[in-house]
Amino acid sequence: MLEQNLKKYRISKAEYETICDLLGRSPEGLEWAVFSALWSEHCSYKSSKVHLKKFYNKNKIVVGDSDENAGVIDLGQGERLAFKMESHNHPSFISHHQGAATGVGGILRDIFTMGARPIALGNYLCFGEANNSNMPRLVDGVVRGIADYGNCVGVPTITGRTHFHKEYNNNILVNAFALGYFAPDQKVVSSKIPESGLSIMYAGAKTGRDGIHGASMASESFSEDSESKKPTIQIGDPFFEKLLIEACIEVIDKNLVVAMQDMGAAGLTSSSFEMSVKDGVGLLMDLQKVPLRDNTLTPEDILLSESQERMLLVCKPEHQEQIQQVFEKWGLDAVEIGQTQKDKNITLTWGEDKLLEIDPELVVEHAPRYERDYEKLSPKWESPKLNTQRPSLPDVASKEWIYQQYDQRVGVRTAKDCSQDIGVVRLPHSHRFVGVAMGCEPEVMRDNAWLGGRDAVVRPCLKLAFNGFTPLALTDCLNFGNPEKKPIMSEFVESVEGISEVCKILDVPVISGNVSFYNETQGQNIISTPATVVVGLSDNILNFNSSFTQAEDNVFVLSIETQKLYENLASTMSAIKSWSQNADISSLAMVSLKGLSYTLEKMSLKGDGVKTQSMPPTEFYQFVVATGQGKEIFDELLKLEFICVSAIGKTQKAQINIEEQSLSAKQLNEKHSKVWRDFLGRFA
Amino acid sequence: MKILVKILPKPEVLDSAGRATFNALKADFESLSGCHLGKLVELDFKEGVTEKKALEEAEKMANSLLINPLVEICEFEVKE
Amino acid sequence: MKIGILRFLGTNCDYDIWEYAKALGHDCEWLWYKDQFNPTAYDRIIIPGGFSYGDYLRSGALASRTPVMASVKQAAQNNIPILGICNGFQILCEIGLLPGALLANNNRRFIDKWVDLEVVSENNYWSWGQQNIRLPIAHGEGRYFIDEQGLKNLEDQGGIWMRYNDNPNGSVADIAGVTQGTVAGLMPHPESAIYEWMGGTDGLKLLRES
Repeated sequence: MLEQNLKKYRISKAEYETICDLLGRSPEGLEWAVFSALWSEHCSYKSSKVHLKKFYNKNKIVVGDSDENAGVIDLGQGERLAFKMESHNHPSFISHHQGAATGVGGILRDIFTMGARPIALGNYLCFGEANNSNMPRLVDGVVRGIADYGNCVGVPTITGRTHFHKEYNNNILVNAFALGYFAPDQKVVSSKIPESGLSIMYAGAKTGRDGIHGASMASESFSEDSESKKPTIQIGDPFFEKLLIEACIEVIDKNLVVAMQDMGAAGLTSSSFEMSVKDGVGLLMDLQKVPLRDNTLTPEDILLSESQERMLLVCKPEHQEQIQQVFEKWGLDAVEIGQTQKDKNITLTWGEDKLLEIDPELVVEHAPRYERDYEKLSPKWESPKLNTQRPSLPDVASKEWIYQQYDQRVGVRTAKDCSQDIGVVRLPHSHRFVGVAMGCEPEVMRDNAWLGGRDAVVRPCLKLAFNGFTPLALTDCLNFGNPEKKPIMSEFVESVEGISEVCKILDVPVISGNVSFYNETQGQNIISTPATVVVGLSDNILNFNSSFTQAEDNVFVLSIETQKLYENLASTMSAIKSWSQNADISSLAMVSLKGLSYTLEKMSLKGDGVKTQSMPPTEFYQFVVATGQGKEIFDELLKLEFICVSAIGKTQKAQINIEEQSLSAKQLNEKHSKVWRDFLGRFA
Repeated sequence: MKILVKILPKPEVLDSAGRATFNALKADFESLSGCHLGKLVELDFKEGVTEKKALEEAEKMANSLLINPLVEICEFEVKE
Repeated sequence: MKIGILRFLGTNCDYDIWEYAKALGHDCEWLWYKDQFNPTAYDRIIIPGGFSYGDYLRSGALASRTPVMASVKQAAQNNIPILGICNGFQILCEIGLLPGALLANNNRRFIDKWVDLEVVSENNYWSWGQQNIRLPIAHGEGRYFIDEQGLKNLEDQGGIWMRYNDNPNGSVADIAGVTQGTVAGLMPHPESAIYEWMGGTDGLKLLRES
């Protein structure tokens, strides 16, 4: 019986003993489900928490605490941003379309739960190698899932990164990023419950069987029978989410809400326990009042269901009716399911019957913390050998096939879309611009994890600086294999420390994030992938983009020496920013690690091309710049002795000549779309 | 009483989903000469409603909302 | 001008159109899907894009059966200029104020890109006054379909408003927008092309005082 329960609830023997110590007895009834969910890696961060504390996470622009649904920064002029990135790797591997779609839905809820209107989405995707027979179906499903959800809900996707590596063949990565905006008169809503005597309301979709045990599933390695776990996949409804966004923002704007929390991983359990424990205010909830889609659900199912598009609201009892009216206007239900209490316990009932009474502190604050075994990596400056002679896989083709399926403009704020190095939206109130850049190169992480983590911050910051933006803050999604394996834990710790070190130097706090461990299938672990998103601000938008826009420009390649850059990071970053603000240039793009020639092709896809006279080798930090001027425009930057510039050729109308390759603009576009057609086969 | 409303694109309208599915199937199934993708709507009627009444109502629903007669056709099937 | 802007559950370009009309100096009012309105109280009526009712059943079908659309029909009878953009175009076709229907794109995928268009007919209320324009499209169901007779009627009446230069979705006769009487519909999004930082300003010239 005990063995069965440990297996069913995925609780280890040692953890079971800790629970017995905490309770003074063996767990009973719903306690099993509660401990199972909240002590899962996914909810408790038990393997990572001791290291995540090291993050540089505070400065004068950071608003509020780090234990909220997303991080918030203050931009001045009353405007604030909330943003976060989260993984949906396991669900997307099992059910590509729904897994990716609900990943977008979940990250959006983290943002509007706080009262921010979502204004931009981004995604960081890692797929397996192109000749893996599963991959076309996976890529098609994931892209459709992201598109279906994001497009329908009306939030533009403005940037993304996509990689193809064989290490992700059996464990793809789907990381979704969302950015939310607070106008000057909008308030930030906390998930903390301040006092007793308040109503707890359940709003949004009814509870079904979706995703029961999802949190604990995401916390273990994949085995072959993961396919058979399909019933636990959640189904998303973007139309419903759109209504939920409008209703939630309206009740917040009308000042009717005291606290709010979405029901994400581990559903009602996780949201209610976390809300309650933060300020030690207890809850009394009647599970019989939870609206159900399926009447056969047991109290345990209700507690663990991960049905999508559901919210928990805390309000003054006298505001209940007004809240219900707003939700009704948007075609949604909101019902009271409980009240906040004077004592600090959580009490769950089924009508008159008491099912559970427990001090949430025992479950949340006393969750296990593991100091997993690791060793310190030593600094290594060599950048990985860049293999630029590779076959035409989607990795070295324009990602237009992907991003053309995303609405990049809805909301009329988009100033730079997915075809550019960074995504940019204009702020509605102050008309300043927010830039979004993603980092983490799997190829670097595989060969040199010491440098890879640091590069995950430096690379996006460089992109922002070259576009005239000041990097402000960062969110991350740390995708790793099995943390119980020492080499993996070592790369994890080094990534956290490396990211933090660079963030501190650049004064870019880590304001939110997510850890996804156990990205391991049948003993094979993914490349450690600490994906990052850096958000920056600029008063104006510079008049150039990442494509060639006119003929007869001079084309230069600018390279920055890696170690010297890191030794002079902050000063170089600000020198670059002020240079780009004043530079007379027409195009600028960062050179991809997939090669200079690939980068030049990408820059030529919108019509105007390039004719090269010389091709310097691809380097780790390199940029292509086109200008009507001569080399003298770089004078200011060349004062830094570790930056060098060389002329490589001229832009030309509708034609590329890169080394031996000579193609018309039309042929070039056809070359890139053919790669996708060949790869996708019948999914094209 | 249930009525199934089976909706298909009109033959003269290009059915891109049907075409794509056909292309995916035809290599393995030589006997296949076409494939059309549509929608299935299941209408549940209250107890005691006669088949005649249900069919009449289903037809009205189809014409007023369920299909766009410009591009779609439908047929009805009584179930249970 | 006084512009009425429709909102359905799932409309998501509502604020976009509001901002657009405001930027051009017009007064705006929301027209909520559950409410009817005085059909002659507005100089223009715009149905914005989005995913009304999640595009479930058929895009535009469920929205076209709401109370507000009864007033839109009356407004059309009163010759009030009515414009549908993207999902708004789909709704106007569903309710029969515009001929034809909009089906899933030929490649069965959502398409977001800038397209070159040729404005082929002049219109008294909604026009560009220039022949070639560049606007973004963002739709999954934008393939304009009309039968042969319908196409002929449309051509005879000068109802083809604009055509794609490079047909992105399989529309009959490259049609991107049509007009009938005072009612007009188009798939591209003029509101997404009104400032240089958006990538183009051709959308500005759509709203013309008559």
